[in-house]
Amino acid sequence: MVEISDLRKVVGELKQKEAEEITKELLAQGLDPLMVLEDGIVQGLNDVGERFQAKKAIIPDLVKGGIVARTCIPYVEAALSKEEVQGAPKGKKILIGTMLSQHNIGKNLVSTFLSINGFDVVDIGSENGPWDFYQKAEEVGVDMIAVSVMFIPAREKVAEFTDLLNQLGVREKYKVIVGGAITSKKWAESIGADGWGAQAKDGVELAKKLLEVA
Amino acid sequence: MGKLFWEIVDRTMTGPIMKEDEFENEFFPTKIAEIVAKHKIEYDPEEPIMSDPGIADEIFQAGLELLVEVGLYCKDTKRIVKFTEEEIKEVIQTRKSEVTLGKDRDAVTLRPRAPGDEQHPYTFFPAGILTRDVSKYKQYALTTAQEPTCDGLIPVPLTGIGDIKPASGTPTETLLALTEAQIMNEVATWVGRPGLFLGIPMCATTPGALMTVFASGLYNKYNCCMPVQILQEMRINYDRLNLAFFAQQHGIVPWISSCAVLYAYITGPVQAAVEIIAHTLGMMAFSDGSFTQAMSNTVDGLYAGPDIWWCNSAAALAAERNLNVPWISFGCMGHQVGPLTDESWYAIAAASITACISGMEGMWLVGGTTGLEARWGAEIARAAAGIKVSDGVAMIKEIAKKYKEPKHMPIPLNELYDLKTLRPTKEFLDHYKKFTKIFRAMGLNYPTWD
Repeated sequence: MVEISDLRKVVGELKQKEAEEITKELLAQGLDPLMVLEDGIVQGLNDVGERFQAKKAIIPDLVKGGIVARTCIPYVEAALSKEEVQGAPKGKKILIGTMLSQHNIGKNLVSTFLSINGFDVVDIGSENGPWDFYQKAEEVGVDMIAVSVMFIPAREKVAEFTDLLNQLGVREKYKVIVGGAITSKKWAESIGADGWGAQAKDGVELAKKLLEVA
Repeated sequence: MGKLFWEIVDRTMTGPIMKEDEFENEFFPTKIAEIVAKHKIEYDPEEPIMSDPGIADEIFQAGLELLVEVGLYCKDTKRIVKFTEEEIKEVIQTRKSEVTLGKDRDAVTLRPRAPGDEQHPYTFFPAGILTRDVSKYKQYALTTAQEPTCDGLIPVPLTGIGDIKPASGTPTETLLALTEAQIMNEVATWVGRPGLFLGIPMCATTPGALMTVFASGLYNKYNCCMPVQILQEMRINYDRLNLAFFAQQHGIVPWISSCAVLYAYITGPVQAAVEIIAHTLGMMAFSDGSFTQAMSNTVDGLYAGPDIWWCNSAAALAAERNLNVPWISFGCMGHQVGPLTDESWYAIAAASITACISGMEGMWLVGGTTGLEARWGAEIARAAAGIKVSDGVAMIKEIAKKYKEPKHMPIPLNELYDLKTLRPTKEFLDHYKKFTKIFRAMGLNYPTWD
């Protein structure tokens, strides 16, 4: 008989198949699906995140963690009542990309952290311009836009982007958060962003706060 | 450059296709982990400098294998450019082993030096600061250029020109690059060194702006290099190839550069050193560069510390023993510290000592921001040039004990220098003197320290 700690362990060890099997077994035992999610899957992901913070894991491990979690979560969702599913942050869609630059490490980190925390992430990759962000946001209908900024000319493009949203009358539709090596809180405020993150993990807290996710 | 260059261009259109996510999250991390495990290379946190010739050779071989097994990923076509080991070995064997930077009596020629050589690593100083204020930018540049140990300048990017904000790919980017080049030339003239090496254009990133600034003549084949650096984790694009081709056609030295980011897609200093070698060989294959810049930082933005020193020293020693082209590395802590912090001054010294005992030929952005910090790094590089590797390692261990994670403590230039005379203030000079005493006690000396 498996226990919830077993699920946490295999998720933390990035074992996709085992995690899927244990999730199914725990739910078949009648365990509370939210407990399976929180104490098993999320805790396992937190273990990967802590290893990353301690420089014992790398970004591809976080990505794999997200894949393992996404394999397990549908079983949890199926076991949850409809109301509970609607209350999860998964209903919130976030567009993320790098403005101009090809440096995508920070963006990938934020994308992964958001994803493993249940947000529906639309990652448009690197080397985007203001119109790329705007068009994709309109096309897929997102709640928030996260912009990674890695070099100085890109900062001006972010200012251009928030201005573009204003001029097109859609600024209120989206929360806009920014971050990256050459950004600051003061600069973020100056261009009218809704939030700024110093570290990749700040993206999750910002998203939860701005999108009012518990 | 020649036959192989055109084969690389062809392979960007014919090589195996792979999704970029798969390349960066599966293929590359798996391969590099396998290769490092095969060579049994390990990092010892107790040893901040990697000075073992045997391990250096393993790192070089692992880097060569990494390039051959992984290849270079072309972002434009999503194809992998593969190489044979023979092709890369031919590149190594046929490449020039020295490079001249600058012109006339201001020129310096970088030739391979071994650990412990009396010839000091050359020291290229930062010029300017991140600002839109052109006057302020120039003042910073003058403080470094006027130093007698300045072997060349590396411009710091302007963040704008007054109200003009730069936007990549627009004429504003080119304007900034031209302004930067103009100031660098003015500064070199003002200090009486018109032939000084001026590094690379730092305000330009797109090929259009880079080519335009060279077309102006302000930057040229004597005073400046063309950046052709690889993209993170073994990736290239057509911009790299176009710039390499442009540089070759105009006789400009290509700026081969690799900055490994520890704990992002690579696990730590061992993989970083191996990746730097693979990056360097890859860039040598697609450009005709005969000197390289290599450095590392951590995913959280630190440019100093035992893991960084280990990586930089390991990659440099691997190259010194197997590559025979001039090799330079980072000479400061990055932007996050202040000129009066002890951490910064220890880190500058550590970078210089590491360069000396790892067989590096030079350092760039020595000191970080001001002339006195640059002087400190350059004097340490000269004082430590001939020391035994074991003595240098002992010094770095001593520094590592005192080294703490830095805090950002910027200080305006007018509190560090008399802006009329461009002489350091007493407080700043006292800080410098404090460190000359500390390092004299550790066994180093430089004529002016008396």
